[in-house]
Amino acid sequence: MNIFSEIYGAYFRILAQLLEAGTTDDKTVRERIMKEGFRDSILFLPQKLIPGREDWGLFRRGSDGSLKRITRSAPPKILTGLQRSWLKAKLSDPRIRLFMEEDALAELDRRLENTEPLYRQEHFRITDRPTEHDPYDDPEYIANFRTVLRAVKERRILEIGFVSGKGNRVFGSFVMLKMEYSPRHDRSRVYCYQLKSGRISSSGIINMGRIRFVRDTGEVFREEISMESYFSSRKCSSPAVVRVTPERNAVERFMLEFASFEKHTVRDQGTGEHTVELWYDQQDETELLIRLLSFGPVIEIMGPERLRAQARERVRRQAELLEKYDGGWKND
Amino acid sequence: MAGFSELIKNFDKTRDYVRDFFIYGCKVRSDFNRKSSRTYDDEKRRVESWIGDYMRYDDSVRGRQVSISVDSGHIPENPLYSAFYSRSFTDNDIRLHFLLLDILSQEERLTLRRITDLLESEYGFFFEEQTVRNKLREYTGEGIVIAEKQGKSMVYSLTPDRADEYLASLPGLEDAVKFFSEVQSFGVVGNSILKSLGLKNDLFFIKHNYIIHTLEDLLLPELLRAIDQERYVTVTVFPGRRDRDHSGEEKERLLLPMQIFSSAQTGRRYAAGYAPDLRRFTAMRLDNIKSVRAGEVCTDWRTLKKSFDKAAGRCFGVSFGTSKEDSGRSPMKIEFFADPIAEHYVIERLEREKRCCTLERTGDHIYTLTTDVHDANEIMHWIKTFIGRIKRIEGGPDSVRARFYSDIYRMDKMYGGDEDEHIQ
Repeated sequence: MNIFSEIYGAYFRILAQLLEAGTTDDKTVRERIMKEGFRDSILFLPQKLIPGREDWGLFRRGSDGSLKRITRSAPPKILTGLQRSWLKAKLSDPRIRLFMEEDALAELDRRLENTEPLYRQEHFRITDRPTEHDPYDDPEYIANFRTVLRAVKERRILEIGFVSGKGNRVFGSFVMLKMEYSPRHDRSRVYCYQLKSGRISSSGIINMGRIRFVRDTGEVFREEISMESYFSSRKCSSPAVVRVTPERNAVERFMLEFASFEKHTVRDQGTGEHTVELWYDQQDETELLIRLLSFGPVIEIMGPERLRAQARERVRRQAELLEKYDGGWKND
Repeated sequence: MAGFSELIKNFDKTRDYVRDFFIYGCKVRSDFNRKSSRTYDDEKRRVESWIGDYMRYDDSVRGRQVSISVDSGHIPENPLYSAFYSRSFTDNDIRLHFLLLDILSQEERLTLRRITDLLESEYGFFFEEQTVRNKLREYTGEGIVIAEKQGKSMVYSLTPDRADEYLASLPGLEDAVKFFSEVQSFGVVGNSILKSLGLKNDLFFIKHNYIIHTLEDLLLPELLRAIDQERYVTVTVFPGRRDRDHSGEEKERLLLPMQIFSSAQTGRRYAAGYAPDLRRFTAMRLDNIKSVRAGEVCTDWRTLKKSFDKAAGRCFGVSFGTSKEDSGRSPMKIEFFADPIAEHYVIERLEREKRCCTLERTGDHIYTLTTDVHDANEIMHWIKTFIGRIKRIEGGPDSVRARFYSDIYRMDKMYGGDEDEHIQ
């Protein structure tokens, strides 16, 4: 069993979709390829599907010009052995309880009783798993998660009371947009807009683990919402500019660690240094700062001024602490 | 560009290129000097074909830079899954696939002869029995077809498991598949279920989403099998990963894999186990591994596994260090300043992220972290996230402490205190 198999491939999937209907036409074939295929699929695939010199022979041209499948029925949507073994592995993941009740899990387990899991939890060791994460076995957390997830799907308006990162109690009316999961923190958050008098007043992110109260108002937010505007409302006004030197393999380490950011990189041919612009969510600025500082002197925060000033202040304070308390520093 | 195909037989080479486009984002055509420029053009075109929306082009004096630029926390589906969906096949592969599914959907428990006859009589395709047998055998292995003995002959049926029926009859499963389809490891398998049903993850975004590492999922099944079967593997490493522009040959190394180490902080994964050539435990980065080949069964597995588990308990990250680094030194103690009330979040972060270290309050505003890890270098990357709060460091290797002091000294100079000239 191998995921890199043509049976999961884009071409097989497109053909399966086209074979769903007994009859199709050339236009639909091309549209389906454009929608589901790769960028160049339109150059390679139509001649394989539409009867001609090179086709696979799975459609015949009807007298009315339409394309009729030669198969009797729509292809069955088989759950393959690999997909079943993946589901079996997920049965041991505590997070599955956020979505499924015990009776549904028992039924899934029964159906997969003769299936070996694709992997077992003990095959993996997460070396830097935080000691605290969202409480996946807490009934209240699960209930809150499901209420929020339903609100995301149906764009329902919720009243939520939660404790902010700074320890403040917040209560308000929110429209739920999407959920976010962070593997780094093993925690979920929800993107939302706060509503005042039924209108959007500000964008926000609420940690699911900090929710103390949630009530479904039964109302649905009907105005159109674009995730793009939500994300741009939270984006930094100017990117962090970082100079990365080749010392200690810093370029590769830095690029890998910050691979999840939208960025733009320019390399200086002479020195081998890279100048990287990183765009980030303003709310995550402190997290970005400490991650940048952890690279030590092999990178330098060049801007914006606010970020560099914070780095300078922390480094200065650190030097003073060592000067005052650490004998090793004085002897260095 | 004659002969170009957007489908591929294997993606070892593609992994290598995608990684460079994705990670560095500043290389031009001439930097990819390990293969011909034709190879570069084909690989670039293929990657553009899969994930064109995320390609970025910048013109520089050296030429056009190609990169993949994406804020992976703001996309609902890993675009690199496309690479998995690009496997090449023959015309007969795809014909047989849909015809066999159609035949076995109508009737169960058919013999090979009957199936071969139906292919000709009902659909007008003549296939050799051997070709059909091979495909049925392959699909039995894939869990699509069930083969049973009936008297002396083998009969074939379709598996009764249907993705649409599972998701419709098991409440919550669809949401679970959407969630897990974007989470390591093997998220692509969940994505393949969604794709087969015309569904998309429209609920979850993944923060700190290291999408590049999905390509390594291809190596995992062989490694996990070797772990279960207690076998050595021969690992082929991409040539010159550290200094790729100067070196040439691929290297092979022997490893007895025991566990996959995975970092939630960086998304990197490692095959960890016993390296006979080094005579110690080690962890090899999966993104540096080109391929894995199973070898001999290890006769001393249990003893080595016991030692491995013990040693892994003293890894702060993935490094087992070397016995030279590990001998004759005292545990490291690091003191931090934090106000337990006003700065509770600092103490909470120390608690949350300390892993195998111990943390205790040792003064009014002082918290002491004690650690006895194999490789103290690994802990210092994390310690430096607390810059501005570290009061004192004692114990551990002299070289590690000296580098820390030197780093702070250099950073203080670099950021220049009040004389900072770099502010933009």
